[in-house]
Amino acid sequence: MRCRTVLGGALALLAWLAIPAAAQQPDRWTMPIRTHTLDNGLTVVVSEDRSSPTVGVSVVYHVGMRLEPENRTGFAHLFEHLMFQGTPVAPKGTFDRVIQGGGGMLNGSTRPDYTNYIETAPVSALKPILWLEADRMKTLDFSPANLKNQQDVVKEEIRVNVQNQPYGLFFVFDMNRLAFSNWANAHDGYGSFKDLEGATLADVEGFHRDYYGPNNAVIGIVGDVSADEAFALVEEYFGGIPARPTPDRPDVSEPLNTESRREAQADALAQVPALAVGWKMPERGSADHAPMAVLSQLLAGGDASRLYQGLVKGREQLINLDGGMGWPLGHAWDYDGPTLMTLFALYKPNVDPDAVLAAIDEEIARIVAEGVPEDTLAAAKTKMLADYVNALEPFISRADELAKAQLLWGDAQTLNRVPEWVQAVTVAEVQRVARTYLTEGNRTVIDRVPAAMAPARGIAAPASAPAAAPTQD
Amino acid sequence: MAIHNRSARGAILRPLALALGACLFAGVAHAQQPGTAPVAAPPTELPAGLPDYDADRALPELGLIEHRLDNGLTVWVLPRQGGLPKVNYVLAVRGGLASDPEGLPGMSNLLAGLLQEGTATRSSVQIAEELQRLGASMGASASSDGLLVMASGLSSSAQPLADLFADVVRNPAFPANEVQLAKTNALQSLKAMEAQPGYQANRAMGRVLFGDHPYGNTLPTEAGITGTDVTGLQAAHTARFRPDQALLVIAGPVDGDQALALARSAFGDWSGEGEAIAAVPAPDYPQQAQFVLVPRAGSVQSAVRIGRPAFDADDDRAIPAALANTILGGGFDSRLMRNLREDKGYTYGAGSSFGLRAQGGAFQAQADVRNEVTGAAIGEFLKEFEAMRTSAVQADELQRAKRYTAGTYLFQNQLQGAVASALASNWVLGRPVDYLSSYVDRTSRVTAAQVQAVAREFFDPARQSIVVVGDAGVADQLTPYGDFSAD
Repeated sequence: MRCRTVLGGALALLAWLAIPAAAQQPDRWTMPIRTHTLDNGLTVVVSEDRSSPTVGVSVVYHVGMRLEPENRTGFAHLFEHLMFQGTPVAPKGTFDRVIQGGGGMLNGSTRPDYTNYIETAPVSALKPILWLEADRMKTLDFSPANLKNQQDVVKEEIRVNVQNQPYGLFFVFDMNRLAFSNWANAHDGYGSFKDLEGATLADVEGFHRDYYGPNNAVIGIVGDVSADEAFALVEEYFGGIPARPTPDRPDVSEPLNTESRREAQADALAQVPALAVGWKMPERGSADHAPMAVLSQLLAGGDASRLYQGLVKGREQLINLDGGMGWPLGHAWDYDGPTLMTLFALYKPNVDPDAVLAAIDEEIARIVAEGVPEDTLAAAKTKMLADYVNALEPFISRADELAKAQLLWGDAQTLNRVPEWVQAVTVAEVQRVARTYLTEGNRTVIDRVPAAMAPARGIAAPASAPAAAPTQD
Repeated sequence: MAIHNRSARGAILRPLALALGACLFAGVAHAQQPGTAPVAAPPTELPAGLPDYDADRALPELGLIEHRLDNGLTVWVLPRQGGLPKVNYVLAVRGGLASDPEGLPGMSNLLAGLLQEGTATRSSVQIAEELQRLGASMGASASSDGLLVMASGLSSSAQPLADLFADVVRNPAFPANEVQLAKTNALQSLKAMEAQPGYQANRAMGRVLFGDHPYGNTLPTEAGITGTDVTGLQAAHTARFRPDQALLVIAGPVDGDQALALARSAFGDWSGEGEAIAAVPAPDYPQQAQFVLVPRAGSVQSAVRIGRPAFDADDDRAIPAALANTILGGGFDSRLMRNLREDKGYTYGAGSSFGLRAQGGAFQAQADVRNEVTGAAIGEFLKEFEAMRTSAVQADELQRAKRYTAGTYLFQNQLQGAVASALASNWVLGRPVDYLSSYVDRTSRVTAAQVQAVAREFFDPARQSIVVVGDAGVADQLTPYGDFSAD
């Protein structure tokens, strides 16, 4: 479940962190970044790194779950699957065969604000990778057989991750439904089986035409290749793809909540109760953004954090604690619309969930009232930035973060600025954002208990119990 | 149970979860020209215009340096140039889950978790805060044959991190309150895990593959957690954490002398006490295939696991087996994935692996499939197994597998911490010091006949045990494959 990828100006940051706290002017190093935009609007971001004869590639499209049509929940993700189903010139199987057979690994994912396609391989496979990515940007094999096959595969994905698993990702999709009011943010991005089955070839064709043009994409390339070489290859393979009109982006914004939202659910498969807590976050790039990211680290960033020490240790209420800004569908710096800071924990059956909430509020209130000691703040920043850099070690992650930063922030150099933003955060700012965002009115809570515990808690039986018989829709 | 290569493609949640499979470090970098290769079933013409692969660049040398301290501690230094200025420490000891006392399966998990919850001079919270201040991470894990303790941090903090690391390794105090909390939480975690179909399948499969041998009984039980106490943890620590039974890996921008100085300062005065832990005996594998349906009411999928005993980690067949497995069930371009996911749409991911241990091992294939195709899916697995046995793998498919494993090796090599852990894991498994550095070359020499020989022996459908965790209603579909009524 952990998928936090952090971003950063890798090498520099480490050199910078290496300076003892409160030492002289840090010796900043900056990750080399070059960008180039083709005539058709495709932007390429390159960072050369010769430390390994490999390359990471990420093609990120500016479309995700927020933009799918209302009767097509899950379509952005289903479409992502279809991007691997071949094209008129490179039939199904070619993509996997050429990239894996070239020593590479490949994958893709769908998030609220983007869909990404990632590869890492020996640099000898860079040309075929880029050629194949360009080929599927041009057109797909829009066949009924491919659509039906991936509708089945996606349904199996939902069964394996949601329907057949205890907790079933309630801390993502149920949380979004409850916390948000704007449909774009609130709906289930995995989708209903009905909507998935209702998807037509015309939908597929329209989505590809509208959102998968070069002008709606960014390519990140990192590794054993120079920027000039990479630019030339991208020009060669993608340069002839015409730009296409992209639909106007809908207004996905919504204000902070002013009344708390809460739900209790029975879980037919779980044996241990779980709690998820979410708060709406500041706008990306606002003055509150970096302070909130630092506060998130202070509260929930690892074993030294306030909530781990206070609730897993200390009060001994929780069995574990996970979460953070953007968790688990992203991280603190890669969102482009309303997002949450989410906590997810299993708690002890003899513990009252209200006591857990009271303890969380107490830790927040302590920060609001007293702030945090300077050395605590400094240590949290150090750990946060070290994690941020570590997550950039694989070229594939660095390419993906560069492409995303260019797409979402309009500037890949943002990655080199985040460390300064984090370092500049003051105790007073942390107090301000704690007071502003981590309020009861802005809080959403879901208490998810095993079905056996539900009657004693006054919770109705599971609303969507799995089918008892092995018949499937 | 080593289960690898579950597909995450098309993931909403796991975009960068690159499954590094059983054949983690393998392959060769021969240039195969994609424009020229007719491929094994199903044949695919490569597109006109698709550029060829460029010539491969040289694989990086590991440059591993081996030392032994006076107290018997083996030290491997991995000097690195370029990349991030980070240092990684891994300390491996012999004795893992298979060495836990009878009746206390899984105790090694508690042992590993409690190392950093307090030492003679540092409290749990002090350790957490010191790591945070250093921007460092530390963790420990248990495998069947050993324990690994790992730390990573900035090279500029190499010395203070080494001191903290050595304290955790050498002087854990197992404070009573921390042990109690860890047990309480482990009991709840166990309940949570037992609700997962994959966990239920692993438990059943372990027993099917290894019988009563400790390799088949490494998952924790309620009695095992309850029965673990401070005295037992202390005794297990003493018996396992001793320099003559341990390996220290230091990786980073350090030279051999600097690393050795670090090792001496942190571990030079470490000494073992009493008896070292006994070696794990070789398993007496069950002779017959077994068929188990673990009923799970309301399950909307069946977790299918198919496998049989294999061989131990330093067996010569391990490398041909890794290639055979890549072709059968490694990654998206594997036969199982193409068939069960991309052709039939039965599953989100199908794959296979050889899970090898110091004294034994097993082959296993797996997929989670919807209820109504459970029997059909098993049939497809067995068809693919049989195809691997009856037809020699074609040259280009073998070559693709070699390139794939070479690329995986390169990717892993890019990540300093991953190399350090792989080295330590190989040592725990009893593999020679040059296992990792020679793997690519050894893989390049594997022939189609060797792959087929492995397949003939280990993919034989008649010898496969089958475990299904799912709704009892799928039982009718299982009757063609075995007698599932026994368990």
